[in-house]
Amino acid sequence: MVAQRINHKWGMVVDLDRCTGCQACVVACQAENNIPINVKSFYQQRRAYQWIRIERYWEGEFPNVKARFIPILCQHCENAPCEPVCPVFATYHNDEGMNVQIYNRCIGTRYCSVNCPYSVRMFNYWEPQWPDRLRNQLNPDVTIRTRGIMEKCSFCVQRLRRGEVNVERRGIEPLTGESIPPADRKLDQRRMKEGNYLPACVQSCPTNALQFADQHDDTSPVKEYFDEANEQIETREHGGHVDESHTRVYRLLEEIGTKPNVVYLKKVDAFPLEKA
Amino acid sequence: MMPSRKMLPLMVAGGVVTVIMGFVVIVLLISWFSNPPFGLGNAPTQPVAFPHTVHVAENNIQCEFCHRNVTKGAAATVPAVETCLFCHKDIDGRTVTAQTEIEKVRTAFETDTPIDWERVHRLPDHVRFIHESHIRYFTDETIPVKYGINGEEIIESPDVAQTCTICHGDVGNKTVVQPKTGQSLKMGTCVDCHRVNNIPTDCTICHK
Amino acid sequence: MKLTRRNFLAWAGLGAVGAVACEGFGIRDGELDIQSPVQLPEDLVRGNDNWYASLCRTCPSCEGIVIRVMEGRAKMVQGNPYYPTNQGKIHARCEAGLQALYHPDRIPTAMRRSGPRGSGEFLPVNWQPNGMDTLKDVLRANGSSSVMITAPLRGHMALLADRFATAIGGERLGFEAIDNNTYRAAVKSVFQQDSLPDFELENSKFILSFGADFLSTWVSPTRFNRGYGEFRQGEGRDRGMFYQVDSRFSMTAANADKWLPVRPGWEGYLALSLAQVIIAEDLQDDSVDVASFVGGDAGIQVLETFRPEVVAPLAGLTSEMTGGNPVEFLKNLARSFAANGPSIAIGGGSAGAQSNGLFNLEAIYALNFLVGSVGKKGGIRFNPPSPWADVPNSSTAGSLEDWTRVTEQIRSGQTKLLLLHGADPVHGLPDSLQLRDAIAQADDLFVVSFSPFLDDTSVMADLILPDRVSLEDWGDDISEPGPGYQIVGMQQPVVNPLSDLDPLSFPDVLLTMAQELGKDSDLPWNNYKAMLREGSDALFNLNRGSIEASSADEFWNNLLKRGGWWDELRNGPTSIRPADGLLRTIAGKAANPEFNGIAAGGDSLYLVPFAHNTLLDGYNGHLPWLQATPDPLSTVTWQTWVELNDTTADRLGVKEGDILRIESSKDSIRAVAYPTPAAPPDTVSVPFGQGRKHGSDYATDRPGNESSNVMDILETTQVQGTGSLAWAGTRVRVSKTGESVSIAKLEGDARAVEIGILPSEEIIKTIAPENA
Repeated sequence: MVAQRINHKWGMVVDLDRCTGCQACVVACQAENNIPINVKSFYQQRRAYQWIRIERYWEGEFPNVKARFIPILCQHCENAPCEPVCPVFATYHNDEGMNVQIYNRCIGTRYCSVNCPYSVRMFNYWEPQWPDRLRNQLNPDVTIRTRGIMEKCSFCVQRLRRGEVNVERRGIEPLTGESIPPADRKLDQRRMKEGNYLPACVQSCPTNALQFADQHDDTSPVKEYFDEANEQIETREHGGHVDESHTRVYRLLEEIGTKPNVVYLKKVDAFPLEKA
Repeated sequence: MMPSRKMLPLMVAGGVVTVIMGFVVIVLLISWFSNPPFGLGNAPTQPVAFPHTVHVAENNIQCEFCHRNVTKGAAATVPAVETCLFCHKDIDGRTVTAQTEIEKVRTAFETDTPIDWERVHRLPDHVRFIHESHIRYFTDETIPVKYGINGEEIIESPDVAQTCTICHGDVGNKTVVQPKTGQSLKMGTCVDCHRVNNIPTDCTICHK
Repeated sequence: MKLTRRNFLAWAGLGAVGAVACEGFGIRDGELDIQSPVQLPEDLVRGNDNWYASLCRTCPSCEGIVIRVMEGRAKMVQGNPYYPTNQGKIHARCEAGLQALYHPDRIPTAMRRSGPRGSGEFLPVNWQPNGMDTLKDVLRANGSSSVMITAPLRGHMALLADRFATAIGGERLGFEAIDNNTYRAAVKSVFQQDSLPDFELENSKFILSFGADFLSTWVSPTRFNRGYGEFRQGEGRDRGMFYQVDSRFSMTAANADKWLPVRPGWEGYLALSLAQVIIAEDLQDDSVDVASFVGGDAGIQVLETFRPEVVAPLAGLTSEMTGGNPVEFLKNLARSFAANGPSIAIGGGSAGAQSNGLFNLEAIYALNFLVGSVGKKGGIRFNPPSPWADVPNSSTAGSLEDWTRVTEQIRSGQTKLLLLHGADPVHGLPDSLQLRDAIAQADDLFVVSFSPFLDDTSVMADLILPDRVSLEDWGDDISEPGPGYQIVGMQQPVVNPLSDLDPLSFPDVLLTMAQELGKDSDLPWNNYKAMLREGSDALFNLNRGSIEASSADEFWNNLLKRGGWWDELRNGPTSIRPADGLLRTIAGKAANPEFNGIAAGGDSLYLVPFAHNTLLDGYNGHLPWLQATPDPLSTVTWQTWVELNDTTADRLGVKEGDILRIESSKDSIRAVAYPTPAAPPDTVSVPFGQGRKHGSDYATDRPGNESSNVMDILETTQVQGTGSLAWAGTRVRVSKTGESVSIAKLEGDARAVEIGILPSEEIIKTIAPENA
């Protein structure tokens, strides 16, 4: 049943040293979230829908050249700049650490997308279209966004809700199909674990560059990264100095104080280019 | 005081605006209180005139016997023709009208054509309602106190059929099912009920 | 009324209110559009999802997948967590199998040609009797002079197709535009193995890769990516070191710690120079018997000619590329490679696609013996033979030599029947072979296509009998490369074809034909499922492996549920001895790469084509998700681009988006310019895969699409020893057409963020001391 739940705070860890830029997450996200087919003109107009995208940065010149890949998705900021500017509260922070976009509230002012420093909010400039037969693939758990509203990464919240139902009702682990003992099915005591719920991108990532976890879950293998990132924030808030040269943990645009729930791990470079 | 000639067009325009605005207000009021507006709320004509009274009130068939998905999944679902034939293979109606209607069902079965029932209760696409979890909650005996949709206390755990009536009203005693038989099924109704029962009201519970 | 600004605003506001109110009256059509549940099977629980295990067929490596099915519709593809090669992970391509299933351009039913051949005019016909009877007639009349061209096949499908071809007296050839024949030949001659090996990257400390884009397209990228993640940041191990020697800055090169731009075709020389250093400095693994491996003193003398001092200038290495003296760099690389085992040398891609490709790859793979990583943990793992005695565990594909012969046979009228399945040779072979013209002009030829989609070859067909797509059909696979032990993957139909489509399963059609022609002595099965079921029973009788069952039925069910069977105890060979004098033999084959057509020098540039990250060689071209997925490096979508260095672009006066004409001695194509800082100044790169002339709108080259097929301009140089196409052996000239378009790319969409880089001195110290 839908009772009160144990307190979760979801977060993602993106390990840039593992990421190869292969785009598996991008296509998995599009399949899961009913994202319209990005036709050629969308790209030409710079209006392609990608809830998660791989950005590529060049460094240096031939022959000492490097390309860096970084997956960028909604950072689900604790201090989200998009939230206070929405006149109709269509975007807000829920108690599970997610920045949520409610489509039926959105009136399409686009203030949020202007205010988002990560450019991860997509506006529906057009009515989404699919050839009739392709509509059979659409995920029935996700609303199709009409023209004129904003959309963005939801941390696949529909999977979370389905995962909860699966635990409570069917008592099976979705990934392994194993049975959960009846006493352990109530979510006011049970923590949703990896395996009960993973966003589509994380599940597909072939190098495990993307990892997803509950930041309150002490048993999670990536807990240390969240803790370290939180410590960094605290140190900075108290005016302290964070020595970044010995840690891989960082967050995007940390200096503007958005406190993202997505933590990045730096790429390790054995032969860094000498910066001019 | 006679309005000056200069004011006249402005007043006419004002009058038109008032009339239009009034019209808009009336429409909005109708939309709000009748759900959905303009006769769409009337019972749709069903391909077979199925009386819930005979089946439920008189013969005590459980809701989930026909709506068999209701305790298993999101949608309650209407039954396949085979389900009707469980009984109507042998049972004929008492009246001529009933017999004609039952004959329709048998013909459908023999010709292998599904019956296209019209949907009566409908939520918009951006709402994901799950029948199963609601029934599971209300029938769960380990929860001591539950509240109904109007805030009334439910002490004893209801059975499935009683749970259905919380939102759908007394369908078992209706010959024709209309929308709004029970509740208006607006978002406020949902949220109120979630609040009194201390159930999460995060938007993503229903909208995703 | 006079329209002033103020009352204009008032009216406009009123209009808006009206519009909003009117919008509120109506219920959007879409919201009423709910599929009637009465059309669905009675026992189906609506709203619950079911996951079925199957196999992905959008990559040749064939990953294990699970498919989410709701209400009889496939919704999502994910990796099968149990499948040994991909372990729950997938590539971007796997997801798009759904779009093949629900593709708007699927051929709905059997069709006969109604216009001239190649016009694309077809009329639907009934399967029975028209479609099948026509097929039977042509098979009876011309079966003995038939060629069946299929995708490279493994497992029971290969067995079935081969036996069918034999039964009717014809020939079967697998087709792959970018074939692995040279790689296979190198594995065969260096390791004496018939099936492709696995690279255990997760336990390796040093990867040295030559030309193989193994993280993106080469052989089994999902499996290699999985290993790569652990190689970088795996629990309880040091970060590995990875050098990529490549004539193009590929996605794999971008992930390497160091990219060494090599002049196209000199990879083998570089590998031998590394071998020379390792042997000269006595750095080889203890297990190596140097005298035998090198071939005695004579061998050492031959090897002397490959000293870094000689090779570095030949391979075009400059001190700028290597950050110091190139000779010292090569020596240090050899030392690090030998000292930091387990290390792996991988070769493939453009390194094998030169006239001397076989030599290149043999020289590269021989390095693995020197560092003792053959058959070892963290090195190269070999696969055991197929668990079924007669079922091939490795796919074969025709070489350019074969295709030249087939084209000639068609032209001379010797081949009278062409059967096509899962192959588009007209698009995937160099235009200069003129296969299209040969088919178009052969009057006696009858072409049958079993493709579910129209493409450049099936448009030439006289009869199209559309096959089911993989999610609707049975199948199996023996993974290649396997995980080092015996493995069988099972593919099951997860949904039925939609009611407006009427495809018939290709293997079923073959079995029916064999029966009706009375040639079923080797093909006694009524349908393909029965054939697979017999295979399952054979596995059950082996009484080992991952599936426990008490009866053959239970075994079959569990096999389908789990998506496959494997036996971790049946490993491939672990101790492989190199042939006597292996290195000397290889060195004896050394040859310079040959470039036909345009001469070196002047304004000529090397053309290094590459497999597209998602479209591969083009057989995924019709899938819109894969067209819309940005290339990892250029971020270009939907069109053919040409990568050229910024300085080259400046010299030619080219800006991004300019349409360039790329001209070889054979032909010319148009492509959109994408200047990058990473392309070597003397090369240009164009992806394979685009530029279909016929078929789905998503794939074809229509006006404004700027999609062209790089195969059209390739020289027909062959790889010596394998007869494969040396697709990286072409020189071109590049000129401006004067036209320019807005390039469809992702790059520049968003504000830049910071990429965290941690310079790691410690790692340099532990792994590659000489480069610190």
